[in-house]
Amino acid sequence: MTIRMDPEQNEVRALRGVADWRGQRVLEIGCGDGRLTLRLARLGATVEAIDPDPASLRLARRQLPARFAKAVRYRLGEAEKLRYPDESFDRVVFAWSLC
Amino acid sequence: MVHALREAWRVLRPGGLLVDLHPGVRHRRLSLVRGGQAQPVAAMRETFADQRAADRAITRFRQGGPGAAKPPAQFLGYTRLECSRVMDGLDDLREWLADFMTRDDSLPPHDWLVEQVEQVLRQSGKARIVVTGPLDLRVLRKGD
Repeated sequence: MTIRMDPEQNEVRALRGVADWRGQRVLEIGCGDGRLTLRLARLGATVEAIDPDPASLRLARRQLPARFAKAVRYRLGEAEKLRYPDESFDRVVFAWSLC
Repeated sequence: MVHALREAWRVLRPGGLLVDLHPGVRHRRLSLVRGGQAQPVAAMRETFADQRAADRAITRFRQGGPGAAKPPAQFLGYTRLECSRVMDGLDDLREWLADFMTRDDSLPPHDWLVEQVEQVLRQSGKARIVVTGPLDLRVLRKGD
């Protein structure tokens, strides 16, 4: 399958416009195959990315470039039961996952 | 959704930002593009049930009352942006629609759309398939 999502980069432009992501600890909820995760990492964030679908996470891990290995961590997880301490992230992103 | 928002709020530090990004309520448009020229073909027939529920949940969360954010949320902004998917052929479109239906069970079958695109491609030759729709981005700040 050859599908290019948002080739105009409107999404990343909008994200850059609403906040500074450099050095921020980000929780991304519903990361899927990691498309947005990598965009957040490119903006300078450290991303903990969760998704309830193991197959999507396998794909995301396979596609993770070595240069982001320290900035991105993929984990199995659900939005309703986050296994993180209180007040542990600077940003939380619902990536198409609230609906 | 309310549980998810509460959980997100719990793990967010005071002053931190919650960013919600999801498709906006407007039917996606499909065009065929060749040589930089776009030929509109059809609009999809999404129901938007999930999107409307998410919009309501966010509104309740930031405006107070039952299900409201504690500590309160400061609404920092809303942006609508256009987001497109570019596909090389009908197989990509079929696969994308199938994937879409697994994620959104309210989406009615879109076989008619594939047939319509197939017919236009047969008449006018190879083209890229571009599906464009709005994305809504909302930002809330957690109070100190």
